[in-house]
Amino acid sequence: MEKKIGVYICTGCGIGDALDIDALSKVASKEYKADICKTDAFLCGKNGIELIKADIEGEGVNTVVVVGCSSRINTDVFNFGSDKIVERVNLREQVIWCHTNDDEDTQMLAEDYVRMSLAKLKNLNIPEPFIGENLSSTVLVVGGGFTGLTAALESAKAGYKTVLVEKEDTLGGYVGKMYKQIPTKPPFTDLEENSIPALIKAVEDAGVKVYTSAGIAKTDGGPGMFDVTIAQNGSETEERVGAIVLAAGAKPYDPEKLGHLGFGKYENVITQLMFEEMVAAGKMEANKVAFIQCAGSRDQEHLPYCSAACCIESIKQALYVKEKNAEANVYVYYKDIRSNGQYEHFYKRAQQEGVIFVKGDITDISESDGQLTIEADDHTMGTKSEADEFDLVVLANGMVPSAALGELIEEEAAEAEAAAAADEPKVTVPPIIKSNLLNLEYRQGPELPSLKYGFPDSHYICFPYETRRTGIYAAGVVRAPMDMLSAMEDATGAALKAIQCIESTMKGEAVHPRSGDMSFPEFNMNRCTQCKRCTEECPFGAINEDAKANPLPNPTRCRRCGTCMGACPERIISFKNYSVPMIGNMVKAIEVPEEDEEKPRILIFACENDAIPALDMAGINRLQYNPWVRIIPVRCLGSLNLVWVNDAMAKGFDGVLLMGCKHGDDYQCHFMKGSELAEIRLSKISETLNRLGLESERVRATTVNIMDYDKIPAMLDDFAAELEELGPNPMKDFQ
Amino acid sequence: MIEQTNKLPEKVKYDLTFAREIYSLENGAYIKQCMQCGMCAVSCSTCDIMDYSPRKLFNLIKLGKKDEVMQANTFWYCTSCCTCKARCPRGIPLVDVMHDLKKYALDNGYCNYPQAAFYKAFWAEVASRGRSFESGITARYFLIQGLDEVIKYMDMKDVGIDMLKHNRLPFLPPKKVKDLGNLKKIIRKAQELAQREARS
Repeated sequence: MEKKIGVYICTGCGIGDALDIDALSKVASKEYKADICKTDAFLCGKNGIELIKADIEGEGVNTVVVVGCSSRINTDVFNFGSDKIVERVNLREQVIWCHTNDDEDTQMLAEDYVRMSLAKLKNLNIPEPFIGENLSSTVLVVGGGFTGLTAALESAKAGYKTVLVEKEDTLGGYVGKMYKQIPTKPPFTDLEENSIPALIKAVEDAGVKVYTSAGIAKTDGGPGMFDVTIAQNGSETEERVGAIVLAAGAKPYDPEKLGHLGFGKYENVITQLMFEEMVAAGKMEANKVAFIQCAGSRDQEHLPYCSAACCIESIKQALYVKEKNAEANVYVYYKDIRSNGQYEHFYKRAQQEGVIFVKGDITDISESDGQLTIEADDHTMGTKSEADEFDLVVLANGMVPSAALGELIEEEAAEAEAAAAADEPKVTVPPIIKSNLLNLEYRQGPELPSLKYGFPDSHYICFPYETRRTGIYAAGVVRAPMDMLSAMEDATGAALKAIQCIESTMKGEAVHPRSGDMSFPEFNMNRCTQCKRCTEECPFGAINEDAKANPLPNPTRCRRCGTCMGACPERIISFKNYSVPMIGNMVKAIEVPEEDEEKPRILIFACENDAIPALDMAGINRLQYNPWVRIIPVRCLGSLNLVWVNDAMAKGFDGVLLMGCKHGDDYQCHFMKGSELAEIRLSKISETLNRLGLESERVRATTVNIMDYDKIPAMLDDFAAELEELGPNPMKDFQ
Repeated sequence: MIEQTNKLPEKVKYDLTFAREIYSLENGAYIKQCMQCGMCAVSCSTCDIMDYSPRKLFNLIKLGKKDEVMQANTFWYCTSCCTCKARCPRGIPLVDVMHDLKKYALDNGYCNYPQAAFYKAFWAEVASRGRSFESGITARYFLIQGLDEVIKYMDMKDVGIDMLKHNRLPFLPPKKVKDLGNLKKIIRKAQELAQREARS
């Protein structure tokens, strides 16, 4: 596309008063030979927009550079259609609101930002969306329990063809075996009839295609074009689906491991599920029943996490006993009763019915003549307590996600590669457990990577349901332990996410966090050395390998973070509107003053998800910071290619700062591991810097979240002070 | 604030008969609602001198430790300041529960504490006249506690005489309220209602 560039400088919001606008115009029109350069006092107003539109129509401008406010606002106002490039230069939040007005340094900063944007345009093209062939809008739900049925019903009701796969011969799952279920509506005190039969009927009425006694033998492809092989009764069927909801549920924790609580030793020590089946069959005669909570859960020897649903399930079961005989003696031994949210009313109801709650640890269970005796440390009174003549003891044995049942995949191939590239520091790889749920044909492994304890979640802070495989959404107890109300919400949420994914894929757009992004990575295979770093490092498993060991991208799985681009040592991966040369040009466009001018320069690569908003927030709050900085937004620090740091250093920048999202256990990185990868790569660059005769302290990484905006000025000033101590970059005058 | 060490034996067993008896008191059923958060204990201004904090007392009731509960000074030391009642997240009217426990203790002969004698004296005096009569309450209070106590309290006669001199202790009883018969009817009716409520 031949670019006809129109630069429009807004003088509103104080920009006109703070900067020399004529000088800015000269940078655009003289230095960079922009075809048109105009100023307006109120560019986002009606007249301003008309001014731009008139040039688009009259002069054929197809590349609009809006010099004014942050690109995070007014996106709808400055939208001139998908065939026009719109580039935004942020002179408001990142220049005049956070630097001294009418100042030489501020003017230089503003001019540099104009230069950077115009330089960027050289390598920037309009993305052409990738539209797959035979895209399907079918939703596949794996698991026919409460969550799966709800998800299938919701997606069918939303008008999407839905396929449900259940491994048992009947639908219903764990909840299906229940006598009654916990309350799901106000006043949250009464037992409800089992909703599964009604749910199954609704699912059938909604026209969901149901496979029972079936499993998924293979999942190939990507969003919009998953080819799923369903194995049923020895035969195989293929379905093409657009997105997948994984609702494979959980299994009760193996009670055989609870011998210390008498399971397996005494006949009358049973699990919650056994009790449920006993009541449903009308065989429950017991009048003195004890429930033991956290039998397995919240126990470092067994399941370290809280299984979240057992407390209210036990309360429900205690009420079964009371329902049958109001005089029955029911005891609940607990660590803490976790009846979240509205379920506090349910807990209170059980107390009012006379269920006795004992906060204590079980020390011994013994039996004589079929009657059980429980000894416990009563924590409230600080004594030992004893209760006997129990007919039945019910263990709340917690839950283990189906995704955690299987063998951990040891990355054999990766180990071999690790030997080959021993100097490569390795990023933490989330474990993949071979659990036979999806059997993905992905290079990175056959199932979803798990976050913790085998739960295949992804970014639990910003994107629940989202897993690390695009288009596959985990819902219900396979994702995290939860009660039925939460599972219902989860099922609906995941169904909506699946639909969103299908719709985005149809348009060739990315799903969140870059929702609407049409670009996708292109590989210049001629120069590929098959180092496999892109396939290894893609957080979403978007890159497979073909028979010749070349990377094989699956564009619909891509979330456009650019981690592959940052990983590639040959720099063969680029996006139409985001590439290594593009950022390289931006770095080169910045004017670095000579050493004797005593104006150091600091380059900041800032992540668009949190660091850029934080920098904008600093501006909005008029926090003043160091004017030596030049900020380049990156999609994710994972896309940071080390050559940019090299370029910057060679050009004479005194320091480079990488601002990414937090990572670690409470991570916030929107692309899972971008900032972590950047730090690892950074650790490798010190050698290169030393070779250039530079101190490696000049380049460093930091993490900020959006709420850290108030710390930014100090952060930058400290860095500047340290650079001052190191002295100017010795490469300065060579350029 | 550190709660007192309790006086429990090494091992306790749950006895639900006593618990059920307490639950059947007018406000007794509220005790079942206690979730042992301890808000009452930290709010209580006299908790330091109580044998058991309110929450522990409730737990003892649950355990069925009748003697420990009834011989405890806890409810006698309740000043009805209502802080616990206002703060209880489960809405338990602790003050009313304490009143019930006092009454239950009196009815069942657990009257070891001087407060019990005072409650009896005050109630007898008010019920007989419809008004309180300080001298009468004082006399009854001493008498209820037994002759030994009366002798002990003779040491306080100087204070009593001083108060008499300054018109702080009336020598003669006040007039009865008008229509005392009707007041007694009201009280009888209220007692009937309380009993009926406790049964339901």
